[in-house]
Amino acid sequence: MNKFLIYTAKIILLTVLIAFLLDGIYTYVFMQSNKRGKIEQVFSSKAQKYDVVILGSSRANNHFVAQMFEDKGLKAFNYGMSGGHLFEASLMLKLMIERKYEIKNIILEADLNLANEQQAEGIAAKFLPYIHNSEIIKDHFSGEEDFQELFYIPFYRYIKYDNRIGFREVIFSSIGKKTNAQDNLGYFPLQKNKNGNMKNNIVNLNPLPHNKYYEEIKNLCQSHNINFIALMTPMCENVKGMDYFDKVKKAYPEIHNYENVVVEDKYFSSCGHMNDAGAKMFTARILKDFFTTK
Amino acid sequence: MFFNSIAFAIFLPIVFFLYWFVFNKNKSTQNALLIIASYYFYSCWDWRFLFLLVFSTFLDYYTGIQIEKGKSEKSRKFWFWLSILVNLGFLGIFKYYNFFAASFAELFTSAGFKASPILLNVILPVGISFYTFHGLSYVIDIYFKRIKAEYNFVDYSLFVSYFPLLVAGPIERATHLLPQVKVKREFNYHTAKEGIYQIIWGLVKKVVIADTCAPYANAIFDNYTSMNSFSLIVGAIYFAFQIYGDFSGYSDIALGVSKLFGLDLLRNFNYPYFSRDIAEFWRRWHISLSSWFRDYLYIPLGGSKGGLWMKIRNTFIIFVVSGFWHGANWTYIAWGFINAVYFLPLLLSNSNRNNMDTIQLKFNFDSVKIFASILYTFILTCIAWVFFRARTITDAISYLKRIVTSKDFSFQYLDNERYSYELLLMIGLFVLIEWNNRSKIEPLSGKMSTLKTAFAILAIIAFGTFSDYKEFIYFQF
Repeated sequence: MNKFLIYTAKIILLTVLIAFLLDGIYTYVFMQSNKRGKIEQVFSSKAQKYDVVILGSSRANNHFVAQMFEDKGLKAFNYGMSGGHLFEASLMLKLMIERKYEIKNIILEADLNLANEQQAEGIAAKFLPYIHNSEIIKDHFSGEEDFQELFYIPFYRYIKYDNRIGFREVIFSSIGKKTNAQDNLGYFPLQKNKNGNMKNNIVNLNPLPHNKYYEEIKNLCQSHNINFIALMTPMCENVKGMDYFDKVKKAYPEIHNYENVVVEDKYFSSCGHMNDAGAKMFTARILKDFFTTK
Repeated sequence: MFFNSIAFAIFLPIVFFLYWFVFNKNKSTQNALLIIASYYFYSCWDWRFLFLLVFSTFLDYYTGIQIEKGKSEKSRKFWFWLSILVNLGFLGIFKYYNFFAASFAELFTSAGFKASPILLNVILPVGISFYTFHGLSYVIDIYFKRIKAEYNFVDYSLFVSYFPLLVAGPIERATHLLPQVKVKREFNYHTAKEGIYQIIWGLVKKVVIADTCAPYANAIFDNYTSMNSFSLIVGAIYFAFQIYGDFSGYSDIALGVSKLFGLDLLRNFNYPYFSRDIAEFWRRWHISLSSWFRDYLYIPLGGSKGGLWMKIRNTFIIFVVSGFWHGANWTYIAWGFINAVYFLPLLLSNSNRNNMDTIQLKFNFDSVKIFASILYTFILTCIAWVFFRARTITDAISYLKRIVTSKDFSFQYLDNERYSYELLLMIGLFVLIEWNNRSKIEPLSGKMSTLKTAFAILAIIAFGTFSDYKEFIYFQF
C-alpha cells in the first residue's frame, strides 16, 4: 500500500508540475500577444493620448464609428466589447489609467448593461491571463466568488475558460494570428441582416439604482479630469418595455437618452444593434451634440 | 457526481482511504462501506430515486430466494414473472410510457380518430436501464439454475449498486461479480496501478476526445441544413468519436476505479473502430450489453439454430430491442434496425465469426484488404450513428442525402466559432495511439509508462474541454 500511496503522490505532484509549467507557458504567450483583442492591446500598450475613448458592450462596439471622430481631428478608439458588461468596461478604464493614458473624453454606453453588476464571463476571461501581472486586474476580480481558485490554483483559469483562453487561443496568439477586433479603430460595422430579430422584450429588465461599475467609471473619470459622457443608444421600434430608458433617466439623470435618435428598422441589423448606416447617423448626431465646438 | 468532477475527485480518495484503512477488517465491513458510498454517490443525482434503487434491489433479492426455495414449478414461475414484470414495469413507466402513449395517439390521429394521450411528468432515474438489467440477469440465472440465490442482502446490494457501474455499466453478471464481493479483498499494488492508468486514459477519452468533439458535432448536426458535404461527413466522424470517447472513457474510469477497490469489472470496449466487419464491431462495442442480449434474448429465442426465417427474425429482434434499450425514440430503433441489416448478410453467409483473431498489418495486399475492411466498417458505423444522433429519422435521412447532394467540400465556419476541419488532426493522433496499443487494455502501461502518463495528464489539462460538456451520454439511458 505504501508503494501505491507514493506512486499516487508522484502522479499528483506530476499533475501540479504540469499545471505550473502550462500556466507559465500560456501566460508568457498571452503576455507577448497584442493582435488578438482590445484587452491585450491595452495591457501591452504604453501611455497613449486620446481625445475620445468609447467604452461599453456591443451596443458601443457596433454603434460608434471611431473614424468619424478622427475625421473631425479627434483621436479616438472604440474599446466597446461585444458581450461585455460594465464590469469589463470599468476594468478596461482602470488598465488605461494604470498605463498613464491621457484621455480627454470617455463615451460610455450605459443602458441595458446597467441592469447587472456581474462579469460577462466570456469577456472577463480575457483579462485572466494577466491576473498575476497586474494588481489592478487582481483587485478587480478579488470580489468574485471563485477568485481564490482563479488566483491560486495553477492553470485553473485556463481550464475554466478553455474556450476563451485555452489551447486554441494560445496557438493563435503564439503564431500572431490577427482578429478583426482592432480594425476600424475598434468599431465593428454590422450589415443589414434580412433574418435579424426585430423584436425585443425588456419588460423585466430594471436598471440597478447604483450600479457599482458605472459609479466606478464615473468616479475614475472625475478623479482623472476626464470628461464623462454616458449615453443610451438606439433600439429598434418593436421593443416591449421601452420605458426602461425612462427608468434609467430617472435613476441616472446625467445619462443622455439617445435611444430614439435612430428609429427605422432599415438602420438596424438586429433589434439591439444598428447596422453601419444607422451607426453613422448616430455617430454624426453625437459628434454634433458633444463635439461641435472642439 | 460525474467521474470528471471535482466532487468525485474528493469522494474517491475518501472512500479509498476508509476502505483500505478503516473498513478493511473483513469483507462485510468492506461491502458495507461500498454500499454506503454507492448510495451516497447515487443520491447526489436525485435522492428520491434511491428508494427505487433499494426497492428494485430488494425485489430481486427476495424473488431470487423465493425462486430457489420454490417447491413447485408454479411457485418458481410466479416469483420469476413477478420480478420480470415489476422490473420491466418500472423501466416501462419511467422510460417508455410517454413514448408509447404519444406514438399510439399519433397513430390514432393519422387514422382519423381524435386522441389526446395522458403523458406522465416523470424524470428518468439515472442508470435505471443498467441496474434493472443487473437484477434481471440475476433472477433469470437463478430461475434457469445457472447460479444459486444470494442470501446476504448486503452482498447482493453491492452487486446491484456498486457505484463505479451503477449509472452507466458495464452491465455485470452475478457469476462474475458476486463471487468477488463474497471474499475479503486484499490490496494489490499492480492491480491498483493498472486502475490508475485506466482512469487517466478514460479521462483522456472523455475530456480530450469526447467533450472536444461534442461542440463540433452539435454545431453540425443542429444546423445540418446549412452544412456542406465535407462538414456533414466530419460531423458524423466527430459524433462517432464523441460517443466512443464518452462511453468507453466512462467504462475505462469505472473499471479503473473498481480496480482500486480490488474488484474486477467486465471489459466493455475493445477498440471497436478497428473492427473488420459489423459482427466484430458488436463483439467490441458495449460488450456487456451485447453479450447480455445474446445470452438473455437471442439464445432463448432460438439463436441461429433454427431455419432461415428464425435467424432473420432473431437478428432483427435483438438489434431493434438493443436500439430501443438506449431510449424511447424511433431514431434508436432505426439505428438498431440498420445494424441488423448490416449484420444479416454476415450471419446468413456464416461469416459473422470470421474475424476473431487480432489484427496484424504487414506490407502486403492482405493488409490493404484489412485496412479497407476496417474503413468500410467504420463508414457503415458512422452512417448508423447519424440515425442515433439525429432528432428524427427524417432529419437523419436528410442529413445523409445532403452529403451526396451538396457536393461542396470546402471548409465551413461553424456556429461554435470554429472551423469544421479543426479536430481531424487530434482524432488522427488518437486513432494512431489506440492502433499502436490495440493489444493492451490501455496505452499507458508498459515501457516508458511515466512519460506516457505525463503526456496523458498534459493532454487532459491542456487540450481537455471543461467549460462546455460534463455529462456522459449514456447516463440518459
